[in-house]
Amino acid sequence: MHNFLRFARQQISVQLQIRTFNLYSLLLFFIQPAIFSAVGMVLSRAAGNAAPDLVYTVIGGGILGMWSGMVFTSTYDIRSDRRDGILELLIASPTSLRRIEAVRTFTNITASLVSLLVAVGAAVAIFHFSFNGINIFRLLLAVVILLYSLWCLGVFLANFLAWSRLSGSLVDFLELPMAFLCGFMYPITVLPQWLQGISTFVPVRWALQALNATLLKNQEISQYWFHIGMALLTATIFWLTSLWFDRKVHDHIRLTGELSSI
Amino acid sequence: MNAIEAKSLQKVFITRRGFWRQKRKSTIAVEDVSFQVEQGELFGVLGPNGAGKTTTVKMLTTILLPTQGSGSILGHDLVKDTREIRKHIGFTFGGARGLYGRLTAMDNLRYFAELYALDPLYSKKRIPEMLEMVGLLDRSDDRVETFSSGMQQRLHLARALLHNPDVLFLDEPTVGIDPVGARELRQTVKSLQQAGKTILLTTHYMAEAEELCDRIAIVNHGKIVAMDTPSALRRRISPESVVEITVSQENAVVIEEMIKKLDGKLRMESISSLTEQHYSLFTPEPETVLEALSPALQTRSIQGLQVRNQTMEDVYIAIIEETSLNA
Repeated sequence: MHNFLRFARQQISVQLQIRTFNLYSLLLFFIQPAIFSAVGMVLSRAAGNAAPDLVYTVIGGGILGMWSGMVFTSTYDIRSDRRDGILELLIASPTSLRRIEAVRTFTNITASLVSLLVAVGAAVAIFHFSFNGINIFRLLLAVVILLYSLWCLGVFLANFLAWSRLSGSLVDFLELPMAFLCGFMYPITVLPQWLQGISTFVPVRWALQALNATLLKNQEISQYWFHIGMALLTATIFWLTSLWFDRKVHDHIRLTGELSSI
Repeated sequence: MNAIEAKSLQKVFITRRGFWRQKRKSTIAVEDVSFQVEQGELFGVLGPNGAGKTTTVKMLTTILLPTQGSGSILGHDLVKDTREIRKHIGFTFGGARGLYGRLTAMDNLRYFAELYALDPLYSKKRIPEMLEMVGLLDRSDDRVETFSSGMQQRLHLARALLHNPDVLFLDEPTVGIDPVGARELRQTVKSLQQAGKTILLTTHYMAEAEELCDRIAIVNHGKIVAMDTPSALRRRISPESVVEITVSQENAVVIEEMIKKLDGKLRMESISSLTEQHYSLFTPEPETVLEALSPALQTRSIQGLQVRNQTMEDVYIAIIEETSLNA
């Protein structure tokens, strides 16, 4: 455990230096969510709402920033490691790629939390969003479960990206539809039933339902725990799948030689 | 126990083309490679581009799984004991890839020290030692992206040695390094061998292989086509030495008369220029040739004289050409 913590500290430090503190992250965590929020507010007005729903526009934009942080950094890490010849060195070290990815994704997700914090700050400071009547414990728990859901998904995607040079294209193709299936910027209930059915398997959808309903103060407590439970269950399934997948990835990439970009 | 053992290693890469009607194409990178390297030995692998050198190294460093065959490092099986092998080996690949450019040299090594689970007290002492060994201690706090490719190559060696591995794989370690840096690196490699490390080195530079290696394997088309000590490989091609003579055109007739008397004891090649005549005399008895030429040496009719063995490059080219013709 002590060794793992030391490794985790070093990995977090490296991750922050090489990925988090750069211009790209600034765009990802601040500029992109601001654009999404602005578009959300415009669409909300166009739909006839007198005042935009801050939970689904401003705060939703922040959550979309977290999503992008998870998707882009977890997949970008593997891509750039493959391109720079580092993936081979990681695979051939005594530390498993699973462990490296777990800490990396944790760092990426935690760093992207800044996106949500800025969005909430903007909602409060600019649009006078109020926390009155919101259960803070439930709110914090929902945020933690959201982070866990994103982490499980991030670990799974990173593993998937390691599988093949081509898997990145597939993730690029699926990433945005998946994001919209989670209901970042609108209630999931506005989607047709069949789309809601598909989104059942995405843990972030459940975590967001718990979070948004807490912020909107319009949820039964039993519903809240149901959403939290579903988020935990589906996220854990992703995590367990990635654990099972990890061994296969390790052998597959060593068999196909897809560890390097050439 | 051998430090490195490869038994009929084979690696086939399968690529697929097309979406609906996929076509599979098999590429044999390594067809059949077998060798043993004793502990403390410096073993060289030579071969043209695409011969399978790097793929062989990648299989032995557990980066790639062999398609067929088996192997072991310090008695640990290549396929079953990967985790154990990884603790005992270090490796570098040619070129400047494989480091985090945005991190300093020190931070890169700190990170890899953690990947190898080194004790913090040990790595605190070891990292500066390694940086000093490769001449980068004064640049330890500079970002790697500001380093030349030669400096990055040296940093790779420091990284590979961090955990003090017993077996070291160096894949073209002097590629991209200037002559002075390459000489220093060769010196480092020699001192590592003297310290008891087993080293497998691949290189394109014949002189480097000849200078460093106890034994050399020449690889072509995924197979070992020759393997022996550098001197035995030279003898294998031809036991002849080469006597090189340069004379002025006016003395050429006299020298040729002398050479004619040795008919049957040598094979001659000559190159003529306006003022000089150059002879290469291939002979198993260089002493006899020198004795026959001694009158010309005494009268200073010979401008230049050199007796040399066939070089590793002569050997390498002869073997590669022979095996390419047979392939």
